[in-house]
Amino acid sequence: MSGRTLAGTAVKAGLLGGLAVVYVAAVGMIGSFVALNLIGEQVTMSRVLMALPAFLAGYLVARPRVQGGVVQRAATGVAVLAGTGAGVLTGAVTAAGLALAKVPSPDTVRGIFERVTPALFHTISFGQSVPTAALLLMLAGGALGGVGALLQMLPETYRRPINVALMCTLLMALLQRLIPTILIQLALKFGSASPREWSNWLYSSRFSGLTVIGSVVVFAASVAVALLWANQGPKLRARAGSLAGNRRPFVTGGAAVAILALLFVLPILSGSVVSLVLGTVGIFLLMGLGLNIVVGYAGLLDLGYVAFFAVGAYMMGVLTATGDSGSSLHPQLPFLVAIPLVMLAAAFTGVLIGAPVLRLRGDYLAIVTLGFGEIARVLAVSDLLKKYLGGPLGLYHIPQHFLGVGFNDPEKFFYLVTAFVLLALYVSWRLARSRIGRAWTAMREDEQVAEAMGISTVKYKLLAFSMGAAIGCLSGALFAVQIGSLEPLGFNIIVSITALAVIILGGMGSIPGVIVGALVLIGIPNLLDEFQAYRLLIYGGVLVGIMILRPQGLVPNTRRARELLEEEIEQDQWGKGTGGPSIDATVAVGGAGE
Amino acid sequence: MILFVVIVVGVTYGTWKTLTLPEGSPRHLSGPAWRDLVVFGVAQGSVYGLIALGYTMVYGVLRMINFAHGEVFMCGAFASFFVAGTLDSSGFLNRNPVGSIVILILVGMLVSAGVAVLVERVAYRPLRNAPRLVPLITAIGASLFLQNSVRGFFGVQTQGYPDIDVLDGRWTILGIPILKAQVLMIAAAVVGMVGLTLFVARTRTGKSMRAVAEDKEIASLMGIDVDKVIVKTFAIGGMLAGVAGVLYALVFSVVHPLMGFVPGIKAFTAAVLGGIGSITGAALGGLILGILESVGPSLFLNGSHVPSPNQLRDVVAFTILVLVLIFRPGGILGAGGPEKV
Amino acid sequence: MSLLEVRGLSKRFGGLYALRELDLDVDEGEIVSVIGPNGAGKTTFFNVITGIYAPDGGRSTFDGHNLVGLKPNKITKLRMARTFQTVHLFPNMTVLENAMVGQHCRTRSGLLGAILQLPSTRAEEQRVREKARDALSFFGSRLVGYRFDQPASALSYANRRRLEIARALATEPKLLLLDEPTAGMNPRETEEMTHLIGRLRQERGLTVVVIEHDMRVVKGVSDRVIALDYGRKIAEGSYDDVAHDEQVIEAYLGRKAVTR
Repeated sequence: MSGRTLAGTAVKAGLLGGLAVVYVAAVGMIGSFVALNLIGEQVTMSRVLMALPAFLAGYLVARPRVQGGVVQRAATGVAVLAGTGAGVLTGAVTAAGLALAKVPSPDTVRGIFERVTPALFHTISFGQSVPTAALLLMLAGGALGGVGALLQMLPETYRRPINVALMCTLLMALLQRLIPTILIQLALKFGSASPREWSNWLYSSRFSGLTVIGSVVVFAASVAVALLWANQGPKLRARAGSLAGNRRPFVTGGAAVAILALLFVLPILSGSVVSLVLGTVGIFLLMGLGLNIVVGYAGLLDLGYVAFFAVGAYMMGVLTATGDSGSSLHPQLPFLVAIPLVMLAAAFTGVLIGAPVLRLRGDYLAIVTLGFGEIARVLAVSDLLKKYLGGPLGLYHIPQHFLGVGFNDPEKFFYLVTAFVLLALYVSWRLARSRIGRAWTAMREDEQVAEAMGISTVKYKLLAFSMGAAIGCLSGALFAVQIGSLEPLGFNIIVSITALAVIILGGMGSIPGVIVGALVLIGIPNLLDEFQAYRLLIYGGVLVGIMILRPQGLVPNTRRARELLEEEIEQDQWGKGTGGPSIDATVAVGGAGE
Repeated sequence: MILFVVIVVGVTYGTWKTLTLPEGSPRHLSGPAWRDLVVFGVAQGSVYGLIALGYTMVYGVLRMINFAHGEVFMCGAFASFFVAGTLDSSGFLNRNPVGSIVILILVGMLVSAGVAVLVERVAYRPLRNAPRLVPLITAIGASLFLQNSVRGFFGVQTQGYPDIDVLDGRWTILGIPILKAQVLMIAAAVVGMVGLTLFVARTRTGKSMRAVAEDKEIASLMGIDVDKVIVKTFAIGGMLAGVAGVLYALVFSVVHPLMGFVPGIKAFTAAVLGGIGSITGAALGGLILGILESVGPSLFLNGSHVPSPNQLRDVVAFTILVLVLIFRPGGILGAGGPEKV
Repeated sequence: MSLLEVRGLSKRFGGLYALRELDLDVDEGEIVSVIGPNGAGKTTFFNVITGIYAPDGGRSTFDGHNLVGLKPNKITKLRMARTFQTVHLFPNMTVLENAMVGQHCRTRSGLLGAILQLPSTRAEEQRVREKARDALSFFGSRLVGYRFDQPASALSYANRRRLEIARALATEPKLLLLDEPTAGMNPRETEEMTHLIGRLRQERGLTVVVIEHDMRVVKGVSDRVIALDYGRKIAEGSYDDVAHDEQVIEAYLGRKAVTR
């Protein structure tokens, strides 16, 4: 938000903030989230959505600006004033929207903007008349804006932990369906007589959000941890980096065991509803890992990833389905026999899709793969292949029991998915560090020179597609097992875009990033039903926002971050050999994201 | 290569089988039936052509595929839908059809242009100098965002567009009966095409656009305000898409939030088919795609007794897309090969 | 038989002949310089023999193998490596990684090896690292130690040129094509490069073909000089012969300069 003057910036911010509130209201989010309590009974998601634009407006207005090549920071008082002003303007615009919407008859407005219901009016105007509401909105907006600006003006050492704490509190509040269950289960395991006590202090059982005390505790704890990390973090990292070679495997081994134990225990603690969600997260995580190889490592933007997913799912379905499945083919193979066949089909599909697109450049490659994805969808629904694929009704009776285990139980399924996810994680990690990974990186940076270095771009592009296909098909096959039946309309471009959003949010080419992306983009909407309806809207916003604000993603892969930002990396960072990471260290321990 | 041969052989075989079907058989299509298909294809192609113009212009100046253009089309249709509803309930719609149609088209143009410019300002401009992958992903995000915003605002259902009585029925032109609405579509496309070509060739803005398309940096050194030119490009492309949207809604009588996605991709196919960056190419591509898509499934597949070939209409379009991009990315009117990066 | 043999090589761009019936030999162990005014076809010559362009006529053989029709990666495998006129490093890969990419054509481990971490794969990776370090060490202390982990984009211009040569070295070539290696360097760096090219032959046994504009380098380095103009060879011989050749002077300085 670069204005020429502070006042100009404040006006801009205020207007945008107000429009944001109006938008969010019109799109229906404020209405839908009224019942979603975050903290106590007063801080609902919809109130937060109303408050956030004003707060952010103030926060961003007070940011230091570059003017004439010099970074300038306004005096605190002035900045807070500007922030308050922006907040007031936000409130004013919201009020204006409110007033405008009342001009035509409610039915006319509702006829057009579905979500603008009387209930919505009530929420936004706090149940007051328009003039009173306007006043309230402007006051509240001003206050929020001022606080936001104040926060921005705090020195970095205080501001950072507060930001982190705010986000942690929000996250904890959003996880209100997950954590209480875990705590209660833990309590039961520990033989507590009143298990609810374990979670009631943190999350209220009455209104399912954080209690006030709970939120304060979370906030304080986050601030403490953030401060601690800022102080001790670099030291700890240095210690970890300079660990003698023979000690290192123990540390990594220990970490690995801890994570495995956690994964084992998780579904038991979280109950079947959450396990179901985790299972879906797992499937998309798998897809993300596969797409990560194609997009993140080899740099090929594949928008038709759903094709692999569909092939895997249908292969599994056709090969294993029993009874009247909708397909005329009934080999009824067991799961373990079907999997290798699915992989074979995967490799074949990978080459089939990869071969024609070898010579294509970025944009065109994307569109062609998109075309393939759509062709896959149309074929799955078509009457042409109805005999084998079941047409619009899809396939049924896909067995979910094998090896003596019923995988329709979400907890068991979670283990199945996790096993494959771990496998895929391992393979991705190994590939990134290998000669193949190097070849992909070189190809991504400069195709012509890579070719001159002896790297056959044809071979490595096909390899990337095949690996991506293998993992994609695998995730499709698991999906078939999870649901037990297939509906062709679900195999559409949205699946491809979701997978893409997952890796973009987390960071292209970064394995921890894919995990974070899946958890955030799949986990949260599935845990909170209110978000489901806005899932795609959020994905779209995330894609645009990330590309503009932080193209390297949340947990970036260092190399990719450089590529996308083309920033100068300080020579200091790369160290005098001791503190900084080195190639050997990265190989042994597994440095951040590489 | 093998793929190409397979497809050519398959298509020829299929066509031959269809054309040699005996008269009495249920799959046989009579002359008039073919003619209707062709007419439909031409009308459809006009819509694709109008939308394709937007793609081709933006690609020309920014070298990027404006993925969100299909949504621009959709927004124009939606805007006109609401206006049409109001006009209809007051009776104005049918009392003054010509005036109404003009108003609807103007509304559609305005809204579409507005959306296009907004997307450019918010999503594309900050990324002007980013590596190619980035604006493409942003465009996809913008497209998704627009689709779902409209869904959120107005609901997910398909909404029926009011009927304009005067547009019912056919006119017979050169002995061919054509739906009146279709005539309107084709006329609009022709006007749009010709208008744009003249605009780009004769006006100052048009010349600036061509300059920016050739070389952005040098154009700015010549005193051309590149940002303004780009905004105008998006606006004009948007306007044309808006017109297409209104007419599409009039012909098919429905609007829904996802209506822009498939026509968007097909219009892009048309642009590439004709040669991306070329205005005549977009027109030509639209026409060819429209006809092929309409006639194709029946022509290629009827004889081979493929069930419900019209389901596969989209496959025809996508296959053309894939084939063109692989074998002749420069399109029919363009250079033969891909640009060297 | 010469290591590199070129007969009647031609390359056209539209109506323009970039190379016209070029005949050329390079024997093993030689250092040959290719000179000529801008547009003479020197870089095009490199591009054609390394497979980036297909020639419109003529033959070229390297070490007995026919080069025409081969893709660049195959030609590198045959042990002919090159650098580029404008430095084409992998900017976001580290110095060591850039050099390691050079080893790609000498290694074989594939998918299975990478995933299963077979002993052969691990040994190969070790070797690759060693060879890369070795190639980098050719430049003394400039590209070693803490430099290994710096991104290539962080290097100074001269170091980038050296890295490019190191990367080419890592492909274990027999013949090295250097395209204007001293472009943009100051006199001290240029002198260092001159010595370096000599060392490439002495220490590594390479045959080198150098495109150069700086005559001090050409004089200090070459066994033989070949002059091109408008895609044709106009002179060949020792530095002194070529430097005083009338046609060469005319090509660089114009007809009047010849009458001196």
